[in-house]
Amino acid sequence: MYGSPVTADLDGARRAIGRDILAGDGGLSALRRFTEEIDRELQRLHAAATPASIPAAVIALGGYGRYHLCPHSDIDLLVLFGGGVGAAEERFLRDLLHPLWDAGFVVGHQVRESGEIETPEIDNPEFLLALADARLIAGDAALYRGLREATDVPRTRAIVIDALQRLLEERHARFSGTFYQLEPDVKEAPGGLRDVAAARTMAEASDPTLLRRNSDAPRLAKAEDFLLKLRALLHLARRRNDNVLGHELQEQIAEQLAYPGPSARHRVESLMADYFSHARAVARALERVQRTAPAPLGVNIGRTRDGVRFIDDVAAARQPQSWLSVFQAALDADTGVADETLDGIRRETESAAFADLLPGAGHRAALLALLRPQRGLYARLSDMHDCGLLGRLIPPFQSITCRVVRDFYHKYTVDEHTLQTIRNLERLVVTPDAHPRFSTLLQEVDAPELLVLALLLHDVGKWRDDDHALESVRMAEGFLALLPLTETARDTVLFLIRHHLRMSQVAFRRDTEDPEIVREFASLVGSEDRLKLLCLMTLADVEAVSPDTLTRWKEELLWRVYVDTYNCLTRQYADDLIERTETAAAGCVARRPADLEAAEVAAFLEGLPRRYLQLFDRRAVYEHVRLARDIHPDEVHLRLTRMESVWELTAVTLDKPMLFANVCGVLSSFGMDILRGHAMTSPNGLVLDIFQFADAERFLALNPGASDAVLHAIEDVVAGRSTAADRLRGRLSGLRRRPAARVAPVVRIDGDASKKYTVLEIVALDEIGLLYRISRGISEQGCEIDLVLIATEGHTAIDVFHLTRRGAKLTPAEQQGLTAFLEQMLEDTA
Amino acid sequence: MKLLKAIIRPNKVDEVKDALARLHISGMTVTEVRGHGKQKGHTAIYRGKEYNVSLLPKMQIEVVVTNTIADEAIRAIVEAARTGEIGDGRVFVLPVEQAYRIRTGEQDI
Repeated sequence: MYGSPVTADLDGARRAIGRDILAGDGGLSALRRFTEEIDRELQRLHAAATPASIPAAVIALGGYGRYHLCPHSDIDLLVLFGGGVGAAEERFLRDLLHPLWDAGFVVGHQVRESGEIETPEIDNPEFLLALADARLIAGDAALYRGLREATDVPRTRAIVIDALQRLLEERHARFSGTFYQLEPDVKEAPGGLRDVAAARTMAEASDPTLLRRNSDAPRLAKAEDFLLKLRALLHLARRRNDNVLGHELQEQIAEQLAYPGPSARHRVESLMADYFSHARAVARALERVQRTAPAPLGVNIGRTRDGVRFIDDVAAARQPQSWLSVFQAALDADTGVADETLDGIRRETESAAFADLLPGAGHRAALLALLRPQRGLYARLSDMHDCGLLGRLIPPFQSITCRVVRDFYHKYTVDEHTLQTIRNLERLVVTPDAHPRFSTLLQEVDAPELLVLALLLHDVGKWRDDDHALESVRMAEGFLALLPLTETARDTVLFLIRHHLRMSQVAFRRDTEDPEIVREFASLVGSEDRLKLLCLMTLADVEAVSPDTLTRWKEELLWRVYVDTYNCLTRQYADDLIERTETAAAGCVARRPADLEAAEVAAFLEGLPRRYLQLFDRRAVYEHVRLARDIHPDEVHLRLTRMESVWELTAVTLDKPMLFANVCGVLSSFGMDILRGHAMTSPNGLVLDIFQFADAERFLALNPGASDAVLHAIEDVVAGRSTAADRLRGRLSGLRRRPAARVAPVVRIDGDASKKYTVLEIVALDEIGLLYRISRGISEQGCEIDLVLIATEGHTAIDVFHLTRRGAKLTPAEQQGLTAFLEQMLEDTA
Repeated sequence: MKLLKAIIRPNKVDEVKDALARLHISGMTVTEVRGHGKQKGHTAIYRGKEYNVSLLPKMQIEVVVTNTIADEAIRAIVEAARTGEIGDGRVFVLPVEQAYRIRTGEQDI
């Protein structure tokens, strides 16, 4: 009916394999010819089939893909479609497969749509394994390429190797783990054909040179040829897919293959000796591959028992931009870098310049990412330093290699002291119980890699003998300009380097019970974020001086300075206002862009807390000035921007009752979780609110026009056209609540911290709508909210309000009443 | 001979050392200590929560002086360590009966 040699005379084609083998042809070449005939048959069937309505590819899998079809082997196929399968595709499948079934083939077929292969089927490792030998037979080549690209990636290769290891273990267990079988299954038994394929696949998926490094490759090829011959003859003898070389067939096959010997017993022994010799070669090659195959971790990077290494050292030597990635892979895998890879980098690194190692912004961002404090960072940076790479990646660091500075305190060279500061940070991550208060601080830091960067650079100026902090800053400036850092991040790193000795001087040498000392230090630091960074830097730096330098006593002093400064920053900043004539404000006015008038910048700044200029860089300040232009009562000027993982809303308006609560309420009504923020009111009634919030349900990202909806809702509420209470009625209870450990709410009022305000601090379990409820409650109690600091640390919200009532601080009775009211409210909603 | 044991504010160590040096007293032992006297610690607040700081970090300076300059040394310590606020510390004066040099075994008092 189909007229092709295979389907018309399958038995004839099968017998031809036997004839070829017995005529002295190799097993591999005989089976390849048979497989190619099947290929041609499938290509004919594909051409004759009713076309599918979408692109389709017919792909050989497993042994068929390897050209190892024996006479009665199953034909394993993947039919891949470029879209959804409909009636036309089903017809196409029938036309392709039915003739094969009718001709007596056993076909194992799988059908996939292209969308399904975009994500590798990691829960189906056998399928991924079969794909390792995939080969296009007919149809759309682009679809096939897409399949290869989707599956031939390090992650998939790692899954394939894992699956292989597991399958090998299970299969070998069925044979008691020995290839010395008297009646061996030439496909399944240890040392059989499956093991040959396993060794090849494992090497190909990890390190293709593995089998070429010794005599395994030719021995494996000979064994494979021999085993395929046996399998083909077994299929022909039994006329089915049976691969057991039983006693009854051993004599027949020994004779067919002309093994010498005076008797059948001798010929069988010769055959079996040959078999065991080949099986042993296969088993040894597989064992060696299993032992040494690196688990793929990235492009040209694998993990072995010696650590993470480049799979192809020669290729890696030509690609210095890839060197950093081997250290990142080692950190991710929580292991070291193999000595041979470190040696290779050491040999090449002298000729590598910064631009070779980190040519693009992506590479430079990868350096920053590597610096996040985590287990192993000190060891990996030390490795990088030992092989000369660190000084190439961070050129200023080169100047302190083995630098000796003699003093009474330091026990290590400057480079090792620097690396030990990073080890100390790492310990805060790995063993948080050793310094729990500081470990918590580190968890709260948004970009801890900046701290590590500052530590790496803080003493580079010690190559000279004078004021090293200033020299370190000078050297760091040029280097930081090369990194993809925001202006704020760069300023933070430079601040930390410039002042890295300041906090220890204050803590250990100044009278910290003098409020003026703390106020002066708080003024230098400017924000809680910088305070945390400087505190952690000080701790790490002091501890790295010598094993005995950081005592519990010093730790306690440091912590106290931190707490006093934190309290000063959060509770006393309201009394410290920007004056028109002061330098920072004048600088901001002088450097304004052309579209801003000097008077409007000066008027905007005057009377805001001085902290404002420390929190925001000039670009942000000028944006705020623009937003404040032409503002009228009941109007609000808004700006909504997306940051990395959060959104930021800036609102400028004129003060009115319930304003803060209403803006918070609108954000909550859209399911936004307010994480951080500042609210400030100037003496002339101008209000500047900045909120950073999480949009966990991705309302803003997924809905076109959602940003406008949020902004319009805020405008309506500020204009008095609606209230947050209306928007929220019945909705708060339905909003997503964050599952978390219970945090007992704390309400604390301080009437003394500020000259002008009563300071209210609330610590409670963070949840959507919390800030709205608190601020509405404060307003309902008749208090005006003038300044707010909003912070979220983990699941805990920490909000500090500066309040007045009828223009004055709250009386003790009013404080008591407000505290009781808020405590009750938080208890009721907790 | 007298043993002067001064408990002082941590930030006053350098000033006390300088004051004693002016009297040509250079040998001393400085120890980080924690404790309280009348000051009895205080209550600190961090993020709304109170914690009691009962043991305050102090420095202890020990110095052995001859009877003839003991009063002068005590005055120097007191003047250098004083701020006038609670928590300035104490100076204890103890008689020293004997002293030996460990290296030679020689008794020098």
